[in-house]
Amino acid sequence: MIGPLLLFALVALGLGALAGRRSPAVWVALTLAAGVALGAAGVAVGFGLQPDWDWRSGFPVGGQALHLRLDALSALFLILLAGVGLAGTAYSHTYLTLNDGIDPSAPARGRLWWNGLIFHLAVVLINSNGLHFLIGWELFTVCAYFLITLDRRRLAVRQAGWLYLAASHAGTIALFAFFTLLASATGSWDLGPLRERTDLAPLFWLALFGFGLKAGLFPLHVWLPSAHANAPSHVSALLSGVTLKLGIYGLLRFSGWLPVPASAGWVILGLGAVGALAGIVFALVQTDLKRLLAYCSVENIGVILIGLGGALVAAGEPAADWGRLALAGALLHVWTHGFAKALLFLGAGTVVHAAGTRDLGRMGGLWRALPFTAVAFLVGSASMSGLPPLAGLVGEWLVYLGLFDAVASHGPAGWAAGPAVIALALAGAVALATFTKANALVFLGAPRSSPSHALHEPDRWRSAPTFGLAGAVLLLGLAPAFVAPILARASEAWRPFDTGTAAVRVPLISLGRFQLILALVLVGVAFALWRRVHHLGVTRGPTWDCGYAQPSRRMQYTAGAMGGTVGGWFTWFLRPERSQRRPRGPLPDRAFILDRPRETVLEGVVTPVARQVLRVSTAVRRLQHGRLQSYILYIVIGLAALGLIVLVQGGRP
Amino acid sequence: MNASGLNLLIAVAMGLNLLALGSGRVSSLIRAVSFQGMALGAMPFLLSHEFSPWVTLVAVATIVGKGWVIPLLLGRAMRAANIERETDPLIGFVPSLLLGAGGTIAAVGLARILPLRPEHAGSLLVPGALASMLTGFILLIGRNKALSQVCGYLILENGIYLFGLLLIHTTPLLVEAGILLDVTVGVFVIGIIVDRIQRAFDTLDTRKLTVLRE
Repeated sequence: MIGPLLLFALVALGLGALAGRRSPAVWVALTLAAGVALGAAGVAVGFGLQPDWDWRSGFPVGGQALHLRLDALSALFLILLAGVGLAGTAYSHTYLTLNDGIDPSAPARGRLWWNGLIFHLAVVLINSNGLHFLIGWELFTVCAYFLITLDRRRLAVRQAGWLYLAASHAGTIALFAFFTLLASATGSWDLGPLRERTDLAPLFWLALFGFGLKAGLFPLHVWLPSAHANAPSHVSALLSGVTLKLGIYGLLRFSGWLPVPASAGWVILGLGAVGALAGIVFALVQTDLKRLLAYCSVENIGVILIGLGGALVAAGEPAADWGRLALAGALLHVWTHGFAKALLFLGAGTVVHAAGTRDLGRMGGLWRALPFTAVAFLVGSASMSGLPPLAGLVGEWLVYLGLFDAVASHGPAGWAAGPAVIALALAGAVALATFTKANALVFLGAPRSSPSHALHEPDRWRSAPTFGLAGAVLLLGLAPAFVAPILARASEAWRPFDTGTAAVRVPLISLGRFQLILALVLVGVAFALWRRVHHLGVTRGPTWDCGYAQPSRRMQYTAGAMGGTVGGWFTWFLRPERSQRRPRGPLPDRAFILDRPRETVLEGVVTPVARQVLRVSTAVRRLQHGRLQSYILYIVIGLAALGLIVLVQGGRP
Repeated sequence: MNASGLNLLIAVAMGLNLLALGSGRVSSLIRAVSFQGMALGAMPFLLSHEFSPWVTLVAVATIVGKGWVIPLLLGRAMRAANIERETDPLIGFVPSLLLGAGGTIAAVGLARILPLRPEHAGSLLVPGALASMLTGFILLIGRNKALSQVCGYLILENGIYLFGLLLIHTTPLLVEAGILLDVTVGVFVIGIIVDRIQRAFDTLDTRKLTVLRE
């Protein structure tokens, strides 16, 4: 049952890739069918309707027999891939041909690489052979590169693609080392639970680097903002919603299958807490809508890592079932963030198309033209800020509960859990400020510049996925208890726990009840307000303008000012580039203040180091100059050094 | 074994090393190489205890090859390429001489440290070999004209040949004869290449050949 479904999905993706150039209709039908099949397979295994699926081929591929496996942990990520994949496919059907000054060959290429990306993501998720895992990993990276650089005529896009490719391969090198060392230690490329081999524990650090880089773990996130901002929006949705999670999947998979060093949980917990806070602070000060969303992903990866780190710390302690809560929270947050972030990126695609810019400082007032998109975007933003009654709160709630239990247990873990809770709460607060800023700048106020396109709601192909994702976010928020089985099964697939599943189900039921009541109250209040407004009638008048005679649309909050107050607390960390000219004299002529948020890690750490490496290698390259005389001199020096070594060592080897 | 005669010949070869380092004229460099080749060719006579036709054949071939055929080829190449002197060397003549002299002293010193067999301890064979190799390297590194570098290569080979003489009782001279053949063919080839380079680039200055580095 599972095998044929997955085979059908992969074949449909392949055929769709072939059909994409000539007939977009066939492509969209095949790709959507593949998405449904992937989702069905994931649901069947994830919710326990079918037993775990395990299949080995009798024939070798690339020297190794295929070994595919679908357990609840893979299924959880497969459902996410299917959901975001379906939404992105439908969205891109008309979005790709919008022609925002894009390369005319882009739609055809976009369909091909899109199918390639989903295909290889699925292959990685169901793979259980190290060699094929690496191949799939590399191929999906390459597909993602071509999708990011779809609009290859623009320099910024090419630079973002190049940075993505370079950073990804730095991570892939670590994974190469990880898988080859693992294979040489176990004597087989086959992957599976090996928790008793404690000598394999140090390999975890390699996996943390490789998978963490792909996940956008905080100091390794340097490639993420520019790649997500410059990719077409449906690609950003899939990248942020799913491919980042593949890094999380790798970390989960191998921290579950392999033993980990004792300090691993603490390190991940710390990195997650720092990343959550740093990511959202960076998001707050961004002036580019998609860059803001991209940095918000860094925050959420941090939240997920807090959960995973907590689970790892708890796994090292006796009878600490708070780890189960933290892990369930992390797993659920994978879904909620994936769906909500895909929703936000699709909404951002619509907004950016309508406004003709990604710059928050040039948007504004889009509420009137795009009311439905605005509502969907608001739902995504509220979920991302962790507001009830939406999905974003649920995952974080479980993480919170786990950490609270850890604090209450008075063990050593409590010392780490306390600061993590504070970081998480602070990150949530800044997230709220960030999304208030984003929504206010995009949708409220008056337009800050005249938009280039005719403003209207997008067609059905683009609005349906947006609303579908908004519905998913709402459903996950109102009825979280329904996902308790897959969370429990995925936790079991990660590492067997000795506690029952009630630990997760009970808080989900109580939270769901609360969310439902709150939602009803909110609907009631909204209805009452609407009736009152309707009853009293609406009169329109100018905003109070402080007595200024001629208010213009430029007299609004700017993108820098909205985040300025909170961002100002973190200037020591963000180090923005500021240029200003103060007004001078009784009749000042011109004054300005300009803040540009910097890519602090990229510009402050990675670029200088890369420049030094380049300098050294340029210096070394000077040795290769073609002058025969000097080459002979090298040989003489080498011979003399060898002779000296022999003399000093007295001829001993 | 005629030890003092051998040492005399090696001393002559070492002196010729210094002459090669100090001479700016290509023709005198070739002549120094030629005389050194003849001196080296005569050594197997002094080393072997009884007359053997095989040793005689190789020695005569060495003298003819190193002392006459190769210098003749080099001289022809020199005239074809119309090169009289080494101008503007990378390492000047005086510094080369000083380096060579210092190297010779260091070679003698080094030979005392090296754990040699007792029958070689008093001989100049090892210092001579080291000094010749060093001289060859200095010429290879410090000269710009391809012909001077060929001469450096020959002197380097002479040094290796001197080392080979240490093993004359265990290694058949056949090996040495093979090396000699290699060198002769090598010089043939270089002679032809020098001619071609000269025709193609109108110069023999190897500094101008760096475009081919990639």
